[in-house]
Amino acid sequence: MKISYNWLNELVPTHLDIDEFCEKLTMFGLEVEEVVQPGKELDNIVVGKVISVEKHPNADKLTLCQVDVGKSEPLSIICGASNVVKDILVPVAKIGAKLGDFEIKKAKLRGVESFGMICSEKELGVSDEHSGIMIIKQDIEPGTPFADAMGMNDSIIEVEVTPNRPDLLGMIGVAREVAVMLNAEYEHPEIAFEESEVKTEDEISVIIEDSEKCPRYCARMVKGITVQPSPAWMQKKLIASGLRPINNIVDVTNYVLLEYGQPLHAFDYTKIKDKTIVVRIAKDKEKMMLLDDTELKLHSENLLIADAEHPLALAGIMGGLDSSISDNTRDVVIECAYFDPKNIRASALEYGLQTDSSYRFERGMDPNSLTEVIDRAAQLMQLTGGGEISSGVVDCYPHKIEPKILPLRVSRTNGILNVKMTADEVENYLNKFEFGTKKASDDSFEVTIPTFRPDIEREIDIIEELARCYGYNNVESHFWINRIDNKQKRTVVRLAKNHLISLGFYEVNNMSFASTEDLNALKIPENDFRRNIVELANPIGEQFSIMRSTLIPDLLKNAALNLSYKFENFKLFELNRIYLKEREDTYTEPTYLTGVIVGEFDPFYWKEKQRVTSFYDVKGVVESVLSKIHCTKNVTYKVSNQPYYTNDSAADIFLDGKTIGSCGIIKDDVLQSFEIEASVMLFDIDLSRIIPLYNEKAIRFKEIVKYPPVLRDIAVIAPSDIVIGTSAQTIKSVAPNIIKDVRLFDVYTGKQIKQGCRSLAFNITFQSETLTLTDKYVDKLFDKIVKKLSLVHQIELRQE
Amino acid sequence: MKEQIQEILEEARRSIPSCVSDKDLEELRIKYLGKKSSLSDLLSKIGTVSKEERPQMGALLNKTKKEIAQLIEQKKLDLHEKTDTSRARGLDVTMPGRPLPIGAKHPLCQIWEEIEDIFINLGFEVAEGPEIESEYYNFDALNTPSGHPARNPQDTFYLKGGKLLRTQTSPMQIRVMEKFKPPIKIISTGRCYRVDKMDPSHLPVFHQVEALMVDEGITMSDLKGALDSFVKRIFTSDTRSRFRPHFFPFTEPSAEIDILCINCKGAGCKLCKKSGWLEMGGAGMVDPAVLEEVGYDPEKYTGYAFGLGIERIAMLRYGISDIRKLVTNDLRILKQFQ
Ligand SMILES: [Zn+2]
Repeated sequence: MKISYNWLNELVPTHLDIDEFCEKLTMFGLEVEEVVQPGKELDNIVVGKVISVEKHPNADKLTLCQVDVGKSEPLSIICGASNVVKDILVPVAKIGAKLGDFEIKKAKLRGVESFGMICSEKELGVSDEHSGIMIIKQDIEPGTPFADAMGMNDSIIEVEVTPNRPDLLGMIGVAREVAVMLNAEYEHPEIAFEESEVKTEDEISVIIEDSEKCPRYCARMVKGITVQPSPAWMQKKLIASGLRPINNIVDVTNYVLLEYGQPLHAFDYTKIKDKTIVVRIAKDKEKMMLLDDTELKLHSENLLIADAEHPLALAGIMGGLDSSISDNTRDVVIECAYFDPKNIRASALEYGLQTDSSYRFERGMDPNSLTEVIDRAAQLMQLTGGGEISSGVVDCYPHKIEPKILPLRVSRTNGILNVKMTADEVENYLNKFEFGTKKASDDSFEVTIPTFRPDIEREIDIIEELARCYGYNNVESHFWINRIDNKQKRTVVRLAKNHLISLGFYEVNNMSFASTEDLNALKIPENDFRRNIVELANPIGEQFSIMRSTLIPDLLKNAALNLSYKFENFKLFELNRIYLKEREDTYTEPTYLTGVIVGEFDPFYWKEKQRVTSFYDVKGVVESVLSKIHCTKNVTYKVSNQPYYTNDSAADIFLDGKTIGSCGIIKDDVLQSFEIEASVMLFDIDLSRIIPLYNEKAIRFKEIVKYPPVLRDIAVIAPSDIVIGTSAQTIKSVAPNIIKDVRLFDVYTGKQIKQGCRSLAFNITFQSETLTLTDKYVDKLFDKIVKKLSLVHQIELRQE
Repeated sequence: MKEQIQEILEEARRSIPSCVSDKDLEELRIKYLGKKSSLSDLLSKIGTVSKEERPQMGALLNKTKKEIAQLIEQKKLDLHEKTDTSRARGLDVTMPGRPLPIGAKHPLCQIWEEIEDIFINLGFEVAEGPEIESEYYNFDALNTPSGHPARNPQDTFYLKGGKLLRTQTSPMQIRVMEKFKPPIKIISTGRCYRVDKMDPSHLPVFHQVEALMVDEGITMSDLKGALDSFVKRIFTSDTRSRFRPHFFPFTEPSAEIDILCINCKGAGCKLCKKSGWLEMGGAGMVDPAVLEEVGYDPEKYTGYAFGLGIERIAMLRYGISDIRKLVTNDLRILKQFQ
């Protein structure tokens, strides 16, 4: 539904700017889909009068027009349309005007200058018509801005009207809704006219043969009318609402449709045989020619408006060609009826005829406003075309459709919404909606639902209306979830545990107690943070005298125990708190993730030789766990000095430059003090440092790069003291945006390699996000890499 | 005799094609064609047949022998073809595949996660708190005044310096209520400590889950409903629970929760010590004094709380009778919980 904001303001002044209004309307339940301000793009376009038309001296198909645009000097404009003639009013785009992306400039066409352009309807966005220039039919002063003349200085609000609200398909219904929303009043059109001596019922009779498909039919007559263009104010509103003005009679039916939402039909009186309108079902295979020149073959489910002999219209959907208004029509019969929505829907669907009329009848019109609507139409026809309105309405309404009466409890309303509306407030809102109210008790009303609101069927439907009035956003929110929940920690813990388990680790669960002997066995020095122990005042034994400050001793004990049960290769981890004394009476309980790999990492496989486990296995575990919990950025590794690791076989792990743990191979003498006769690798990570950084919402889809990657291998001879991490970084730094990945795939030291050096081979992925990389470009980068490696690290390309 | 020969042939036609190995086939060959076979036996008895029938019988016997020999020969080829092609490809589908690692969560942690998930499903938030607590949060705020026997060092671990190891997860509930206004709907889970000798049913370190809900209009029915929902999910949908009046300092009325023995369904067994019921934990309506202590209006708000031991639930679910099995970390146990 397109709402002209200017028109709406005539009915109910909103005193709001358009954005504010649309926001309010949406929050009230009428969702604004789009706001178009057609006049905004029509600067420098004015109404002009063509005062002379001459042939272009050098081109047959062009004319040279003098156009009065209100200024002293008429403009000289070259026009290519064939419908340009003297004395018509046309839209003129002056120099500087913009039509879409096209700006009007002074132009020279075949040697003659042109100072503007005469536009078609399509060029101005008025309609799709573009066979010629637009001819303005109203009487408008040349020079008037075109947007003003056409009523286009308006905001057209496109709202989504849900199918249950047919009352909102007319401006008056919208005004009523807006009045409720703004707690204001809206104006009904004033309907007043004089009727002639002639009685309508003497001129036309109506017979409803099927009162189920047509419960009510009203007719009125205007005699001696002149068919002519409708007045400017009406045309403006029609255009604003997306309809094309045709003539005053058609325009009035359309106008009233826009105003009330109620479809009307106008017949040429002289074409109604025997002055009789019969509302009947079609005979089988009865034929009829519609207004749009299509012929229908009908059957007994189709409802017709007919005269004594022939069909006049397919009821509620489209008029017939024979009875339609022509320029010669003098006497008009206005139809205003209520049809059964189901029947209209079925027929419209059957013939594929979705018209403005069927669209509304399908949704259910108000059967009890027909006389007001038909009076309004008669009034406007007389106003726009003269003539005499015959006296009275022929109103065929065999069984009156009564408004529903529903009970409403205020307490129930408040109970459902958790609000505190008083009975008076409730009544006020209901009356604004034009619902009748009668107090039934202190707490309840009998509510009369007007027939224009077929959607209100139960008490709860009324409560919904009251909720809208109260404002959904004014209802208190009982929101309380996720203030306390430790989801972040829970997620990280579960991810880490599940990952380790899928790598073959078993989780262990040790008690929180320990003794200082455990720390001594690990050779933990006195100044280590793990010596800030928490001592129990009443321990149950010497070996349980402190709270553990590291999970490592328990895991080593678990390893020893299981070795004694003849398990040879196994992996264990524990995820639990450690306890540290920070200051006097202040303690911390960080969560640690600690694990051991006992014996070989890979399970024994008959088909292959047992792979020898190395430091890189435990580092791989650490890297994969950290990656699983999104801790990859700013993680670095440096040689560890932890006293329980074998020299040169351990790394400290840093996050943002601060240590968060370590991994490596446990020293033999430490193993001995735990009575372990197997190799043990350990990782030990402070998870508390990582948990606060975890953000599952950080995962964002990235568009797949459509340009193919280029893979190159590079083999170099590097001095042994150059760590691989650094050389990989150096390679990447050559073109950080293009070098996506640097992967080490071979390390070799041997006879062919000179002393103090090793051979490294990397696989480099080059990829651009904006273009396909050429070999030449990649070659260039490759050379740069070689140069930089040589310059920074004295790494040389390996010569084959 | 003719019938006997026919019978032998029929049997051979059935048994030879269905045999699966060379060894079986060799046994069949001996059975049908060997010196002690029934056919040889019949051949030796051919003399007993009448003169007229004798050549006919002899021919039949020979024909039968020939057919059986053919069947065996054919089967031999079939068997070899099969084994030859698959062996040629080096495939033995009975050999173990590449062993990929399988680990396991500790049984206690599995149950812990399951409990958390059930309560999360019921709309509870999960709160964790410090295990090193003050006397205030562990006792005073929970309506357990000094002098109360629970505060003795015989029952509670104290640190040098005065703090203690929480004896229950309830202190976290106080911390949450101090910080947030109702409605509150949380569980607090984690390690608790009590001075106990380690025996089949006691550990000095154990885990608890405690639920707390405080809002307007919370009743004992809500408590029973939440608890019922929980035990039905963690055990089986036919698990019943009952409340026995009891005393806890921070709830009023207080109750001990029993569930119908999951082993004998109430008939009485060793697990439930013939009572038909298993003790699960404590519950009750939050004492108004506790609500007042955290600044809630006890006239406006009511609440319930209940606490359950996670070890107890794990033991019942897995059929573990000695609680110490949950801290031995013996792979022979852990590997059962893959
Ligand atoms: Zn039992």
